[in-house]
Amino acid sequence: MSSRRAALLSLVLLFVFSACEWNLWGIITRPTVEERVRENLSGTPPAPGPVAVDPDSFRFAVLSDPQIQHDYQTSLGRFKQEVADRGIDFFCVLGDLTHDATADEVDSIKLQLDRVGAPYYATIGNHDLYQADGWERFKENYGPSCYVVVIADRIKFIFLDTADGTLGPTQFGWFEEELQETRYTKIALTHFPVYDGEKPKMWRLASDAERIKVQSLLERHGAYAWCAGHIHGLRHAQVGPVHHFTCGAMAPGNLDYGNPGYLLFTFAHDSLSWQFVDLDWR
Amino acid sequence: MRLKNAFLLLTFLLATGQAEVVASFLLGYRGEPGVESKLLAALAVDVKPVSFLRTDAGLAFNLFENNGLGAAALGVAAELYQPLGLTLRLAAQHQQWNDWRAGENRALAAIEAGPWHGLEAGIGLVRRVPLFGDRYWSPFGWSGDAAEWNYLYRLRWKFIQQENWWLRTGFSSHDRFTARNPQQFPLVVDGAYRLKDDVELLARAGTAVVGFSGGLPAFHELELSVGLTYEF
Repeated sequence: MSSRRAALLSLVLLFVFSACEWNLWGIITRPTVEERVRENLSGTPPAPGPVAVDPDSFRFAVLSDPQIQHDYQTSLGRFKQEVADRGIDFFCVLGDLTHDATADEVDSIKLQLDRVGAPYYATIGNHDLYQADGWERFKENYGPSCYVVVIADRIKFIFLDTADGTLGPTQFGWFEEELQETRYTKIALTHFPVYDGEKPKMWRLASDAERIKVQSLLERHGAYAWCAGHIHGLRHAQVGPVHHFTCGAMAPGNLDYGNPGYLLFTFAHDSLSWQFVDLDWR
Repeated sequence: MRLKNAFLLLTFLLATGQAEVVASFLLGYRGEPGVESKLLAALAVDVKPVSFLRTDAGLAFNLFENNGLGAAALGVAAELYQPLGLTLRLAAQHQQWNDWRAGENRALAAIEAGPWHGLEAGIGLVRRVPLFGDRYWSPFGWSGDAAEWNYLYRLRWKFIQQENWWLRTGFSSHDRFTARNPQQFPLVVDGAYRLKDDVELLARAGTAVVGFSGGLPAFHELELSVGLTYEF
């Protein structure tokens, strides 16, 4: 490569990274999923506790990717109205809370999530690690990125950290242990999808073998669903008895795979039902 | 009937010594953090009954994890245009993970070209059909909830070619027993050393980058293998 071409390539790369506000060194030196999970499972920070709901009838929403940027726009204001209209008891946010993980974005999205006015749980996405202190800020605001919550002694929510596009050895072992519980309906919630029922793209969990192992565990232990974000759209695929959802995005405007929206679950009469809510089609 | 005739012709050419036959045996390791860590033993035979056609078959066995038969493959490659080395390759693969009671059948089709100055390139498609539960071991299951199409690609460069040995590097989404998905970007280095006129020592190291769709790339897997080929 000539020196002129090398200089041009360097300029292009510099432009790309300066335009995104990503901290390249922070990305390279970030704690790996293995390190984050070990920290999570050590009990520091502590996992959030269960919210109080009517054990015979409750509603919760699963949403993802608000991906707030420097204009601080999201669709969470519209979602706040949904919470009131539909009687949503709590909600889960599946990562990519911010676009660049800057301090301003982190503070702003925390404020917007708190203003929705319902309890919520969060896990981490890849965009939340785009600054050197991304993981520290996430922990301060939301606690661990992989943990378990049992709601109303009915549903076990297993939050997983897949921000790196993979689970890692410690989390895989822990996930399998958590799935072995037979008393509850089990739902895995995380950032990366495994199957999405559409033309395959690269926005899914890593390798062929990893996805097959995940599906095998979900089937063997009778899990109800794998809920994910990362792909900005509302998608559903059923593989064997397991539902695979991508739960839409709360970023504003036209998204790459659909409109802003969320996945709404209703527990009533001892059974769980679901529906997608497209915010632009209401 | 056509398949039977082709098989008979192949057998005849083998028996009369007209076909070129290369057998290989490889031992290796495959590790993917949290997913699997296993030793591999693979046997394969390549038969070239006529100058423009090559068939191949192979079996791979897993040791220490997902023990037992791990993969089987059948393939055929037809040279369409000799000056460019333009080749149509068709293959069927079956892979299984016995501990997980899961398997996958794949049908591959690729157009490849080269080598030119040591460079080979190819593109293609694979239909992959993951299978779970009771029928995971069957190579005849070609429908399933998680079936999908993936693209295939290959660009490899033999950057050293000496009289007795060569080295090659590049990326290839598929090989005899595997086909990777769009979330993996595989890198490979392999080489061979001719021990005798009819015996070569082979070695291969491969990895795959994952997480690039999230801007957090990481090397995720390691594959190492070493073995021998014998030309009959």
